[in-house]
Amino acid sequence: MGRIFMITLEGRVYSCKHCFTHLALLDDIISKSFHCGHGKAYLFDKVVNITEGEKEERMMMTGLHTVVDIFCVGCGSIVGWKYEAAHEKAQKYKEGKFILERFKVLGPDGGNYLAIQESLVGGSSDADDA
Amino acid sequence: MGGVEDDEPASKRMKLSSEALIHLSNGSTVKESIVGSSRDLMARPPQSDGGEEVVGSKGVIKKVEFVRIIAKALYSLGYIRSGAHLEEESGIALHSSIINVFMRQVLEGDWDESVATLHNIGLTDEMIIKSASFLILEQKFFEFLDEEKVMDALKTLRTEISPLCINHGRVRELSLSIVSPSHCFTVRSPKQNTSRARSRTKLLEELQKLLPPTVMIPERRLEHLVEQALGLQRDACMFHNSLDEEISLFADHQCARDQIPSYALQVDANGISLKHKLSGHQKPVSSVSWSPDDHQLLTCGVEEVVRRWDAPSGECLSVYEKAGLGMVSCGWSPDGKWIFSGVNDKSISLWELDGRELECWKGQHTLKISDLEITSDGKQIISICRETAILLLDREAKVERFIEEDQTITSFSLSRDNRFLLVNLLNQEIHLWSIEDDLKLVSKYRGHKRTRFIIRSCFGGLEQAFVASGSEDSLVYIWHRGTGELIEALPGHSGAVNCVSWNPTNPHMLASASDDRTIRIWGLNNLSAKQKDTHGNGIHYCNGGT
Repeated sequence: MGRIFMITLEGRVYSCKHCFTHLALLDDIISKSFHCGHGKAYLFDKVVNITEGEKEERMMMTGLHTVVDIFCVGCGSIVGWKYEAAHEKAQKYKEGKFILERFKVLGPDGGNYLAIQESLVGGSSDADDA
Repeated sequence: MGGVEDDEPASKRMKLSSEALIHLSNGSTVKESIVGSSRDLMARPPQSDGGEEVVGSKGVIKKVEFVRIIAKALYSLGYIRSGAHLEEESGIALHSSIINVFMRQVLEGDWDESVATLHNIGLTDEMIIKSASFLILEQKFFEFLDEEKVMDALKTLRTEISPLCINHGRVRELSLSIVSPSHCFTVRSPKQNTSRARSRTKLLEELQKLLPPTVMIPERRLEHLVEQALGLQRDACMFHNSLDEEISLFADHQCARDQIPSYALQVDANGISLKHKLSGHQKPVSSVSWSPDDHQLLTCGVEEVVRRWDAPSGECLSVYEKAGLGMVSCGWSPDGKWIFSGVNDKSISLWELDGRELECWKGQHTLKISDLEITSDGKQIISICRETAILLLDREAKVERFIEEDQTITSFSLSRDNRFLLVNLLNQEIHLWSIEDDLKLVSKYRGHKRTRFIIRSCFGGLEQAFVASGSEDSLVYIWHRGTGELIEALPGHSGAVNCVSWNPTNPHMLASASDDRTIRIWGLNNLSAKQKDTHGNGIHYCNGGT
């Protein structure tokens, strides 16, 4: 396989739990009050080492959004999604930002996260009305 | 006689032509009749608003200038009669009569008369008159010396050249040459033969350069304009990739596509026989480079050590490492005497071949995935120093320059003439930067795909006129460097194409390496038949073993 292009972050890093690829910095967290099918999720300003899937319209807790799923470049596992467009004005602040599911990543201290197996609500949940 | 007499009534002109035809049928005075008929057949050129006649569809060529440079070209080709005939027929003189007198005087050696004429030409710039006079009198001086008329030469120097009060250094040299004749030889240009004076035609050429072009038309002006046009045609030709392409004047130059390598000559990993397996690295090998003398190889393990191998024997000659740190990239110095390497503590280290560390630049110089290149004069080291910046470090002057991008840089490639850098970005664009004096973004190339891997691109073709790149959609992309247009997207590989390399000596050959575990050699279509016969390989697909 070709050489994967990977950015190395410095500081307190969240990384992929399967292959330890760096994904985002603690300092780039905008909000910790999001939810997904596997429990908590954080909204990040910037995420690296990901590839994007196809655009989809998804109904979230706060309304209809256009999102793309994001995958780790190292192992290809899904780690969250990115907001491409929000259909309601109040949700516009999310546009261009990323959600990383806490269950899919290792925290800066290397800590894992035990998932709360809620019933999956259409795959993603959303929340945080800023 | 001659001249386009516009106020001549049309009927009179018609009469002339019928007379001319009669002459023709009689078989007499053929020359005259041709002159007459051609004059009438000549289309009346369009008149520009300014009152000056212009030729050409765009109306930018002044007719008088056009005819004058054609006449000049005829004269330089040696067609004196044709040149004179043109002047007569068009009524446009190549040079005004006074210039003709001046030229004759110079060629015949009437120096004093020519200087006098010079003042009568009507030049406004005093310096030009003085410099031209200086040249003429210098010629007079040297011709006297040639004829051994030393007193006359001295008189010229004292009474005619010196009072001009210009070019004092030259005046001193001239006076020296009277005293020591041997010195004179060094004073003149090496091209001179035994006579000290240059030829008078050479003098005329020098004067021509001095005088304004409208007064005395520069030599070979028409040839220069044509060469300029041909040069522009060549630069605009997107597929130009062969030295032996002859450019004809009869049609605009445009190469066919067939000069770009687009045909897979060899698809192979097995056809080339394995010579050595170089073992020793504990981690994946991220880069390999040949020494400048092609006898050794330098390899780098990912965050491990750098190893130097002897290519013919396969033996490992040296290992370069730093305690507790790992190397991320490596390269040779242009003279093959030392090697350099990027280290994962963000520094760049320089070693002599025997392992002695020479220099170490600390600070933000490299990242963990770091392309590292050195210019062929050994002066600048180029590396990716930040996500969005490339550092150009001048080793001697200790000057740092930065190329700043607003997207993440994944890899870069240096042109062979050290003047350009090709930068690959995360957002699937390739940027061409000029790095010679000021750092300037020159072009952008798009079309290929990159989402996960490091994809490499390179320069190539005749005079590095093309940019080639790998792509994750398994095509090899080729753009014309000047225009930025995509010329080819070559199918064939069945996996992401990671890197490409254009043969530096053969502009018609390109190699590409892919995730489908094959290396493809691309060439021209018309060569494929030959390849099949000589090598017996032709094109064969292999499973690409290990």
